[in-house]
Amino acid sequence: MWNRIYAVIRREYLERVRTKAFWISTLLVPVFLGAVMILPAYLAARGAGEFNVAVLDLTGRFFEPVQTEVERMLSGDNEKLSVTLVRQDPGNNVDATRERLKAEVEAKVFDGVLILPADLPDEGTPEYVAPNVSAFKLINVLERSVNTVTVADRLTGAGLDPEAVSELTRRPGLTTFKLGKGGEETSDQGQSFILAYVFMMIIYVTVLMYGIYVMRGVLEEKSSHVVEVLISTVKPFELMLGKILGIGAVGLTQFLIWAILMAAISAPGAVAALGISGMELPTVPAQLLFFFVVYFVLGFLLYGTLYAGIGAAFDTEQEAQNFQGVVTMFLIIPMVLMMQILNQPDGTLAVVLSLIPFFTPMLMFLRMTLTQVPVVQLVASVVFMLAAIVVAAWVVGKIYRVGILMHGSKPKLKDLVRWVREASLRESGIRN
Amino acid sequence: MDAILEIQNLCKRYGDHVAVDDISFSVPLGSVFGLLGPNGAGKTTTIRMIMRIIASDSGTVLLDGIPVDDDRRRIIGYLPEERGLYKKMKVLEHLVFLGTIRGLRPGEARKRSSAWLERFELDEWATHKVEDLSKGMQQKIQFIGCILHRPPLLILDEPFSGLDPINTRALKDLMQEMAEEGVTIVLSTHVLPQVDELCSDICLINRGRPILYGSLDRIRAEYGGNTWRISTGVEADDLAGFKGVVSVHPLKKDLLVELKDGEEPNDLLRALLDRGHVETFTRFIPDLENIFIRAVEEDRAHVE
Repeated sequence: MWNRIYAVIRREYLERVRTKAFWISTLLVPVFLGAVMILPAYLAARGAGEFNVAVLDLTGRFFEPVQTEVERMLSGDNEKLSVTLVRQDPGNNVDATRERLKAEVEAKVFDGVLILPADLPDEGTPEYVAPNVSAFKLINVLERSVNTVTVADRLTGAGLDPEAVSELTRRPGLTTFKLGKGGEETSDQGQSFILAYVFMMIIYVTVLMYGIYVMRGVLEEKSSHVVEVLISTVKPFELMLGKILGIGAVGLTQFLIWAILMAAISAPGAVAALGISGMELPTVPAQLLFFFVVYFVLGFLLYGTLYAGIGAAFDTEQEAQNFQGVVTMFLIIPMVLMMQILNQPDGTLAVVLSLIPFFTPMLMFLRMTLTQVPVVQLVASVVFMLAAIVVAAWVVGKIYRVGILMHGSKPKLKDLVRWVREASLRESGIRN
Repeated sequence: MDAILEIQNLCKRYGDHVAVDDISFSVPLGSVFGLLGPNGAGKTTTIRMIMRIIASDSGTVLLDGIPVDDDRRRIIGYLPEERGLYKKMKVLEHLVFLGTIRGLRPGEARKRSSAWLERFELDEWATHKVEDLSKGMQQKIQFIGCILHRPPLLILDEPFSGLDPINTRALKDLMQEMAEEGVTIVLSTHVLPQVDELCSDICLINRGRPILYGSLDRIRAEYGGNTWRISTGVEADDLAGFKGVVSVHPLKKDLLVELKDGEEPNDLLRALLDRGHVETFTRFIPDLENIFIRAVEEDRAHVE
């Protein structure tokens, strides 16, 4: 029995792993994820460089404070940003001076012009004119400096001491700690949530994607009529099992490749080579990875089996759409309920939902990252899922056996129920 | 003669429709056995039950005298009527897969597949995708797939449908060759000249029941009966009046004369010679098509 199932698994696995589509999707995801992680660091790094900024100070008294503030801000900064402010005389004709400065920026004498209007302390808005306004760090420094100076100016005008006000209005902030086993506290600034979210999305997307692959595979065997040749030597259940296991193995291969790529990228040497030193890549606890694989495997087995049944029952993907939608719905519900779980990961609703096998892969995993899930619940979730998989395989096995030879009329739900009943009746009579 | 395959009282109904109604026959070892019948007679359902693809309501299938089960059925090489291949797979890989699900090791399956591809002059297609092949070539691949494990019994459901005359010829030659090597072949078809050419035994099914079964020679003799094909100057109407003549039918330029059972044809010949010129006087061997149509019509009359 197993050597034939193995033959089916082998075919499913090799035929898929050999396609270009597999490698493209396998390599694109890390590129995308990497971009998401590296892009902010890259953009921040773009701020580096030497900038020569002309300042047209029409207030006549803001240049020095702004310059002092800019220097103060840059002094605490270890990145290579240096800003030289050059005071410009407004002259008799302000507009002419403004035009002259713009021309000089165009001629690359200056990198940009900072214009502080005469009514800046009241309603005026400072302007920064440059051919390139994506030097985020520079613009950030200029904006904050001008803001600080303007506010201080207003406070002084109102008879207040800017330093005293700043001391009085300092915000205390809030530091969050995640309470771990034995009261151990870890500081958490939301990284664990982002990580949980990303991983949950990966479970959702991969279970859905590989489940649909199973359905398409069964539909293909049906529509090409190859299935009859197969089930004259392989039992329908063996064929179904082989297909699900083979496609699941493709999914695990994809994860393995991702894990290797991530490990390579996270290696200290690699980070340095990319020139993004000081960037912190999120680290994934081993326990989380383990349960990620466990819940992917269980989720895929459950949903893959259901999708196999849908593939067997219908002739085309169009016909299968309604039932496919129902199954996909079960996958989407956890995503919709995510906010509830996030607010109260230990609430009754969260506990109950995460123990329902259809939702377990995503919700239990989400809870695990947010809170300390009792071991009893983890074990129960795995046991419930295994039970659900066995039941699904039993029911779908019957539908599959009848369905793969059915062509023509589109079956309704009551037909599927009848198939299951007839198949089980027959099985109690003759073993087939 | 030993029977390699015995079908006993096989029944299958779908709701109110009786697809197979108490079919029994046995396939002699080494024979080429024709399973005949009009479209919808129950041939494919019967074969699917033999192959355990669908479960029978009642009845037994014996393979070498032992009830067939999921393991033993694999010695049968089966070419279904509804056949297909994975379109995106490469030809050789596909054959290896078909071999391995029948229990061959991948290496052995590869070796045998390559040999067969060469024999069918398809070796240059080995690394092409199945979808690049013509329909005839795909059918050859399917045939190779079901004989890779060297089955002692082949069941072919409409193997010639969709094949051009050249490929039909090639397949027939191969089947004859295999039959000579001792492979038993069950051939399901409604194309009768092929049966005439290939089969030694037949079972004719109509409306799910067998109506004609046995060796082709015996059936022919039975259906021919005491019928003689005569070319003579004597008029048909006159002939009908001769002693012992049951019926006279024209057949092309000749006359088909049916005599009463036990009536001596030589008496008729003598009487004819007395009356005039006799050019030919031979036993009439009905072709299968006649037998087929007559049997089906008789069956219909019988039911009504």
